[in-house]
Amino acid sequence: MPTVILLDVSLSMSRGVDIASPSPEDDDVEPLPLRRDLAVHGCNILLDHFIQHCKLEFASLIVFSSVYKVLMPFTRDFEAIKNALNLVDECDKTNIEVGLMGAAQHILEEWGNGTPCQIVLVTDGNAGAGQHTLQKAMMSTHSRVSSQFPLPFPFPAKLSIVCIANPNEASLQTSNPLYQRLIELNGEGDIHIPEGGLTKKTVSRMFEQLIKTNFSSYSGTLHCGKLSAPITLSPPPQPYCRHHDFEIVRVSVDSAIHVLGFLNTGDVSSPPAFSRHLVLPLSAKGDMVMLPKTDAGSDDEGGGNDEGKVPSFCVLLHGGLKRENMVALCQVGENWYGILYSWADNKKKSNLMLSMFVPGTEIIPWLGKLSNLGPASKLSVNPYGSVQSTSPFPIKVTEKKSYGLNCVVWVRQGGLQSDIQKILRHARKLPDKTQSFYKELNRVRRAALSYGFGELLEGLANVLERECTLLPSSAHPDAAIQLQHAYEALRNHDKKDIRQNITPLKTTFSGND
Amino acid sequence: MAFPTSHKTVFVMDHTLSSSSGVKLEMDTFSKSRSSSSSQPVSQPMNLIPLLPVSKSLWTCAVEAITEYCRIVWDIFPGSRLIRFIAVDKSCHKLLSWNIEEQSLTNLMTSFMMLGPAKNLGSGKVDLMKGLKAGIEALTEPSAIQHEKRTSLTENATKVLNKGRIILVTKMDSEDDVKVLKEKFHDILLHMNKTAAATDNLMAINHCDLVILNLWPDGQVCPLPRRPWPDVSTIMSCELTNIQGGTSLAPKLCNLVLKHYDLASTTVTGIPMKEEQNASSSANYDVELFHPAAAHAAILKGIPAETAHLKTYREGTDYETVTLKWCTPRSNASMELQHCSSAYRITSVDVNSRPSSCLTNFLLNGRWVMLEMPRKSGSKVISHMLACHGGDIYIHTMYTARSILEDPPSISEGCGGRVTDYRIPDFGELIKANRLAPFPDILLEGEENVTPLEQSREQLVRHTKYWPITLSSTSLFNLGAQIEPLTTLMLKETLTEEEVVECKQVILMLVSMEVRGEPLPSPMAQRGKGMKREDQYRALWVELEQYLQLHLHSPAHEKVLECFMECHNKVATPEYKNDDKVDIDQALKELDEYNYMTEREKAEFNAGSGSKHTPTDLSTPEGKRKRTIPPPLAPMGRSGGVSLLTLWENKVSSEQSRRCLEFQGRMKAEDNVTKLYVNLKQKEKEKEEGSRKSSKV
Repeated sequence: MPTVILLDVSLSMSRGVDIASPSPEDDDVEPLPLRRDLAVHGCNILLDHFIQHCKLEFASLIVFSSVYKVLMPFTRDFEAIKNALNLVDECDKTNIEVGLMGAAQHILEEWGNGTPCQIVLVTDGNAGAGQHTLQKAMMSTHSRVSSQFPLPFPFPAKLSIVCIANPNEASLQTSNPLYQRLIELNGEGDIHIPEGGLTKKTVSRMFEQLIKTNFSSYSGTLHCGKLSAPITLSPPPQPYCRHHDFEIVRVSVDSAIHVLGFLNTGDVSSPPAFSRHLVLPLSAKGDMVMLPKTDAGSDDEGGGNDEGKVPSFCVLLHGGLKRENMVALCQVGENWYGILYSWADNKKKSNLMLSMFVPGTEIIPWLGKLSNLGPASKLSVNPYGSVQSTSPFPIKVTEKKSYGLNCVVWVRQGGLQSDIQKILRHARKLPDKTQSFYKELNRVRRAALSYGFGELLEGLANVLERECTLLPSSAHPDAAIQLQHAYEALRNHDKKDIRQNITPLKTTFSGND
Repeated sequence: MAFPTSHKTVFVMDHTLSSSSGVKLEMDTFSKSRSSSSSQPVSQPMNLIPLLPVSKSLWTCAVEAITEYCRIVWDIFPGSRLIRFIAVDKSCHKLLSWNIEEQSLTNLMTSFMMLGPAKNLGSGKVDLMKGLKAGIEALTEPSAIQHEKRTSLTENATKVLNKGRIILVTKMDSEDDVKVLKEKFHDILLHMNKTAAATDNLMAINHCDLVILNLWPDGQVCPLPRRPWPDVSTIMSCELTNIQGGTSLAPKLCNLVLKHYDLASTTVTGIPMKEEQNASSSANYDVELFHPAAAHAAILKGIPAETAHLKTYREGTDYETVTLKWCTPRSNASMELQHCSSAYRITSVDVNSRPSSCLTNFLLNGRWVMLEMPRKSGSKVISHMLACHGGDIYIHTMYTARSILEDPPSISEGCGGRVTDYRIPDFGELIKANRLAPFPDILLEGEENVTPLEQSREQLVRHTKYWPITLSSTSLFNLGAQIEPLTTLMLKETLTEEEVVECKQVILMLVSMEVRGEPLPSPMAQRGKGMKREDQYRALWVELEQYLQLHLHSPAHEKVLECFMECHNKVATPEYKNDDKVDIDQALKELDEYNYMTEREKAEFNAGSGSKHTPTDLSTPEGKRKRTIPPPLAPMGRSGGVSLLTLWENKVSSEQSRRCLEFQGRMKAEDNVTKLYVNLKQKEKEKEEGSRKSSKV
């Protein structure tokens, strides 16, 4: 998940640690650190974690006071962010609203509204001079007068508020309820306060806790029958929690992902995914390995490449799926499924990707109920055929939709008109178009009866009667006979079972059918 | 939103709205158009009696508009959004039920046909309350899904909320009438809830939305002012709309369907279409579609200024539409996996218009259409895709923002990425053998509570019981075609007699290969250091035994293992004749001794010279050849019992011969198979040729 480090650079961050509450652990003779130094120290811990464990994540650094500034746009170069942290200026007052707005803006521009993100707000536990306005802004959101307030974020986001403050500081006591309210407004997030006094150690511990709760990477096992491989998913999968029509679905991704069977890529037909993840094999030690890129072929016995030489099932699965152009249906949690497939960002590099569906078994209509999919080889007739040219997918719908039905719609001008014109077009080509003529006639007749539009039948009968009189002398005798039969039948609609269609009159001229 | 109000809707319709709506259709024009268009002059002048125009009643307009409302709902939400109808005249007519099979346009049209046109009863004769009561009653009946969830015995079962909507189409004369109706409605609702709560099969209504469409005939001025109606109570909301004449009814219902079902409109612009009159030229058309509003979330939620330019109002509508541009589709798009975040069913707004049916038919025929969104900056991005799956057309939402998965590492850069001998073709076969297909309903009931998907998972376990993932870790699967069909057949749940024989033949063939001293395709071949032949076979036998032990799915499978054991003297073989058995036992015992001896001697021999007959020379090319060309099955002897003995004799003689100085002819022969007949044939050929030559001379 992309992460924004939203750092408070107001003047109050340049305060020293309160001398009033020295920590008993703090026995080193260093000069008392400033809060901003502690903040930078903590951020470095977080960035070091990224360097170590989340190489594929993105992070950005935004500083704010009464204005915000994007110091580092989203990047995977975490060292660059660490450098930028050292160059942070001192500014004026704290305005959290401005900071959150900046984070929201930056994320929307970069990732749109569908990518889950994390915002780590590092502040000094003093909502500051802007406290009153913030309170007012939040109140107004509550009464839905102004929609300018950035919370809740217009994208799935976790907001962590990290306070570089002494737990028993007075300003923190007053600011804390405000922070709580911010988290409530966003719906997801937490507040971190150092335990014990405010020292380098407690700040480190606080950031480690933050990493543990919000930035731990996924580690699990990919199973395919008896074959398996330890894997991680990037970005880490998020639990699913949404309202469906008749239930609230809450489910998390299992640590074991099981392949259940295989499907043709064409058959799954680009199903909608809740989220997508890279599947990366882990080494036996549980580390994610990124080998240097194979530009030259001279990597033989290169230092530390042993991980690349230990076979992994992931690579085999990827190769097999790519070769056959197929996907693997897998279960990722309780009643939660997804597909694994080979995916290429560009032509050169392909990798194993997991797309997780929305939880449930009836989520991709054209695949049917997922739990009803079974081994094709067990069916008496293999639906894929002997040369695998056929497929049981997509599952056909039983009820055709209106656009496939040639239904009758007369709500717009012209609908009825063109339907009648169609009848007349066929009427003028009688007896060649006898079948089409009656088909269109019955279509309109049925609709008119359904819509309670009996007057139309009389009107149509009159038009057909006139057509009959207008027939040129060269017309086929059958034309007049059929027209007369048709308009008489229209007029007599209430004398017979109205569900009965008008059928062509058998004449000595038609004879053949 | 959980428990949507739109799950159940009841239309309560006044079946006495027979007065004219003012919508007229000129019938005279149809005939005139002929005489003007036909090139031939009409032969005789006609004094035609002018035809009267036909006009729609309010009822006709209402049914037309409601049918359109239902068409849109059922196209987009088949099965999950249900609609029923109650027509009131002197009595109550109930059309359709909550049953999903009945919820279709065809069914509805037939029901209305049976109901017939509006009845003129005169004002005040119709008891609307009877209809509304029937409507509320209908809402208390649970739908199939509500019933399922309510009785599911899970913790959520009691929390299933029953919400619904009643749309009343009638003519109200005064505000007081409306007030009275609302109050009565609320009373009935409370009363019915009490009744429902006392039963097991009915559900009390948690919330009901009452929408009154006050339909006034053309020409008369509706006396009711427009004003909001406050909610009566927490379980009921109310809305009243005055509609004057027939023409504005359909747009109002269209507006309501968008609101009630949270739909949005997309206009596909720039669809190239051949002109009807002039097929050589083509013009661009627009087609408007409806779909759940969520399909727009990915592009509209966020910074409003960035997407404001996408939204416009179409002529004569009161809702916004998002205009996206048609992209000429690639033909193979459907074979690739496009990344989509959502897919929703669509329906076209003007379903029978030529541009609409052109687009829907194009999609129904299996083509996919990408839709392009112009950005404010001027650049363009593919934001949506239209595709048909199994007869329904969907709008897929594509990812338009930067991907967090950009520049991912290649699979070859991770763990196991440098290994080059994965058994990928074999795994491809495993994939194909474990394809999924929908199971017919009959098969679903048979297996006791094991879903087909679980069966597939079990089958995968069976197929992977012994599955080395690289070539270098297996001898067995390096044999390629030689091990077939054993490795295919052993995976089956049961084996027929013939299949057992086929498996046994493979084992015996391998034994005979060993006896003949044929080298195996070595797993180590790639490294250049070949294993000794005896080690190769030993590894093979160990692996094969392990393989067979793991695949004992049935007694027939055990027979194959027994056969293997017999060949390796691990189990007594009572089926064989006594004398034969002794011979085999002794033979195999001696064979083992020979093996031991040869190994040591051969080691010495190799250390000494190592040039003439190194295993590498043999195995590397052999390894490649053997995977593709299976050798002909060795003759199994004249009778079944003797074959092993023969094989053993062959083996012994070959081993012996190797210890001695090689026979010149055998050295020339390929992998120690003395191709006598070849020589014979060659000689015969030469002879023949020679004699021919001589005869020619």
